[in-house]
Amino acid sequence: MRRTLSAVLLLVFVGVVLGFGQAKHPSELRYPALKYEPPDPKTFRTEYANSLRAYVQEDNSLPLFNITALINFGGLYVPKEKTGLDRVLGDLLIRGGTKTRDGAAIEERIDFLGGSLNFMVGERTSQLSLSVLSKDLDEGLAIFFDVLMNPEFREDPLKLAKARLVEQLRQVNDQPSGVLSREYERLLYGDNALTWDPTKATYEGISAADLRTFHAKYFFPRNIILAVSGDFAKADLKAKVNKFVAGWKNKSVAIPSLPKNFPAPEPGVYFIQKAINQGYISLGHLGLEDTNPDYFAVQVMNFVLGGGSFTSRITTKVRSDEGLSYNQGSRFAYRWGFPGTFSGYVQTKSETVGYAISLILAEFDRIRKEPVSDAEMETAINYYLESFADSFQSPQATMGNFANLEMTGKPMDYYKTYRDKIKAVTKARVQEVANKYVRPGQAAIMIVGDWEPCNKGGAQWPGPLEKLGKVHKIALRDPMTGELPK
Amino acid sequence: MKRALALVGVVVMLAAGLLAADLTLDVKEHVLANGMKILMIPKPGVPRVVCHIYFKVGSINERPGITGSAHVHEHLMFKGTEVMGVTDYAKDAEIDQKIDKLMDLIYREKYWKNDGDAVKIAAWQKEVDELVKAEKAYIIKDDLWTQYMRNGGTGLNASTSQETTGYYVTLPSNKVELQMLLESDRMMNARFREFYSEKDVLMEERRLSENRPGYFFGEQVNAAFYAASPYHWGVIGWMDDLRKMTKEDLVEFHNRYYVPNNAVAIYVGDFKPAEVVVLAEKYFGRIPKGPDLEPIRTGEPPQYSEKRMYGEGPAPTSLQMMFHTPPDGHPDTAALSILASTLGSGGGGGFRGGRGGGGGTGRLYKILVREKQLAVNASASSRPQWYVGAFQFSATPRLDKRVQPEDLEKEIWAEVEKVKKDGVTEEEMQKAKNRGEAMFVRSLGSTMGLASRVGRADLHRGWRSILTDLDELKKVTNDDIKRVAAKYFVKDNSLTAIYRRKMGR
Repeated sequence: MRRTLSAVLLLVFVGVVLGFGQAKHPSELRYPALKYEPPDPKTFRTEYANSLRAYVQEDNSLPLFNITALINFGGLYVPKEKTGLDRVLGDLLIRGGTKTRDGAAIEERIDFLGGSLNFMVGERTSQLSLSVLSKDLDEGLAIFFDVLMNPEFREDPLKLAKARLVEQLRQVNDQPSGVLSREYERLLYGDNALTWDPTKATYEGISAADLRTFHAKYFFPRNIILAVSGDFAKADLKAKVNKFVAGWKNKSVAIPSLPKNFPAPEPGVYFIQKAINQGYISLGHLGLEDTNPDYFAVQVMNFVLGGGSFTSRITTKVRSDEGLSYNQGSRFAYRWGFPGTFSGYVQTKSETVGYAISLILAEFDRIRKEPVSDAEMETAINYYLESFADSFQSPQATMGNFANLEMTGKPMDYYKTYRDKIKAVTKARVQEVANKYVRPGQAAIMIVGDWEPCNKGGAQWPGPLEKLGKVHKIALRDPMTGELPK
Repeated sequence: MKRALALVGVVVMLAAGLLAADLTLDVKEHVLANGMKILMIPKPGVPRVVCHIYFKVGSINERPGITGSAHVHEHLMFKGTEVMGVTDYAKDAEIDQKIDKLMDLIYREKYWKNDGDAVKIAAWQKEVDELVKAEKAYIIKDDLWTQYMRNGGTGLNASTSQETTGYYVTLPSNKVELQMLLESDRMMNARFREFYSEKDVLMEERRLSENRPGYFFGEQVNAAFYAASPYHWGVIGWMDDLRKMTKEDLVEFHNRYYVPNNAVAIYVGDFKPAEVVVLAEKYFGRIPKGPDLEPIRTGEPPQYSEKRMYGEGPAPTSLQMMFHTPPDGHPDTAALSILASTLGSGGGGGFRGGRGGGGGTGRLYKILVREKQLAVNASASSRPQWYVGAFQFSATPRLDKRVQPEDLEKEIWAEVEKVKKDGVTEEEMQKAKNRGEAMFVRSLGSTMGLASRVGRADLHRGWRSILTDLDELKKVTNDDIKRVAAKYFVKDNSLTAIYRRKMGR
């Protein structure tokens, strides 16, 4: 760069005077070539004592140390009578203290160091994450492994956690968006671990002994993968980690079998009453798993349909053309080990609820019946190819991505082959997967809103909502008891 | 090299305190002849560049009648220019002008009269509908989005706050020129097509907020807290103004504020600064400088009396206590920030039904949540805005123990009085300073966060204020803490808002 400076300097002045090379339209721009190869997971993979796997990247750009333990444990592994145990564990793993450290003292110390220590329990995986300045690496690491290996679940913080979670139950029906996503899943997945909600009674039935049992069952080296990055030397870190985990015994655990058979709800309208001035809407059915060979074609198809923001058809039609909504589109959610949901979604004022739904259904139909255009294909495919490097912006996120691939049993060349698989998607494949995975005839249309004005409709689409299919009214359960109103 | 290019490379060494090694925030600056500033933070590695532009305009630059217009304008910036989003500009403009004329007639009939002629309005509306249909032939829908996305643009968005408006995209390193072209084009040539349907979108956006439990009460509390200053209204604006504002209002707004001398562009990522400077000269350099802009005139007058508000509705029972504090950059800002950190850190974490989350080490959390078990959460925050500041306490009572918001209010006042008398402990002080410093180190690691922080700071007191503020934080003493607590935490300077869940909803 230094050598070409005088030339650059000259260009600045000449360029400004002559308007040299100034494009008026993006079509006139020519870009220099850019090659990018994603990092190879093998380079970063290591195993510590007791087969504790890790993805580790040295990154000396800042004096920081980040470590995450990805644990194969989540809410789906909790039996019905202990529903909510995952949430209590999420609240308490750190606050409940360890055999030798008080929970409040742990939080206090991490805070004093300007660090952060968080624990989150998801559907099938949990994460304990620590970030400290690298000068505090030793102390941070000691606390991290103590919390991960030796939590104590003391009584006082347990009582407090349960009281807080019970107070939170009062709010579960407050937000229309929260009600919609919960009830939509309940409808599509039926009654199983995916949709069980905690109540006051289930929370109160969870004991410290339960938490210890679950911790003992799932928290052992072979059931965990670490993601680590920051300012350290790999060999030093290995010696340090091994010291902590050397005595940590492996076990064998049978992961509980996951729900497999889901009911196919009757197509039609499912209405939930709330006195608000918009309808919050999701419409669709179950989708697919991201390990399905159709996944890449589905990604491209959904980008065109409603996943590609303002370049997608649903946004163009419903928002940009008609001004009906601020937030709209379609999405395939993906989950580990079973199909996620497919949904078109929109929130619009009560009188245009029926109209917006009719427009989304029409787009569902259109993408099945007509091939997408060349321009749409080009935009979708180029988006995925050109933005690919974004996944590797942060070393810690990259290590986390690799740990996730291995945990969920995906091929480790997932990123290496990603762009080729996107490139291979054709217009014919897009139409094929649209017909397979977008099925307006089977759509459950769920609406949270005010019945009278929603049902009445407006000039563009007069009601009743029955025109969209049989109307089922859904009552909300009492969040404290989980019971339906009498 | 840097001198020859008028590139000012500034390397600031952070005084070694908490950190073993000295740390640098290295921002390269280049100012165009038209006053527009280009900031660059090179981070070699992954070939992506975060490209943000910030304008020194937000909802505080509005007035009654056009509240919400900074945000409306931000939406309209995506609606095409003379070059983008249109196949035949001349023909499109002809139709667009006809639509504007008819809409002017409709607005006058609808909004200027008490008994407007519905028949006339319907007839004009029919004409408009037909023209809108005809215009579609010339419009390339959401062209800017398509151009960015097909070139791998991510993080594509814009946002409006009280003080600034930002436009964001992250591109592959070889495509920064695309951003320069598109952003300079919309600064110069924006032509707010589809204005009227976009206003419908904005009203839907406002309704989304309205349907958040407790929104209306929060909006009223804010309006009551700020009686005179333009922080009185929200960024989204009042519904009446959204309905009645005209395209002319927006054109005027654009011409006044979207000038290069009111903007800063910032680039963070894998690029060569000299090349970015060449491109910036070429694209942003072609925009004429605008007139100087006057700062906001109306400050917030002293209250001289306590304010209290009560409300009920479909949100959780809660308490808020707000106090007026000085604006960003005032000598008391650092002490107030340490107070907020000491009293309230972590106290609101993991609240909204989230699984897990951080804990609370703030005094209020320790006393009200853990020891006395009166609250579900309790937190404090200090918000030093550009023209007026606010310090806020928030708490949610334990309803299972029949605690009332008023009980928490008494408890918080008791803690505040203790601080006035004794200040904070040495350990609390050090903890707050450590946290400030560590947060700064972390912020250097996030490309987007850094772009946003440095870009916005530069529009107000210059990006170096990030570093001087950190130095100020380190200098705070316990006497400062006691002094600011006594000065600002007084009833005549406060608004207390008590909200109760109304049963049956």
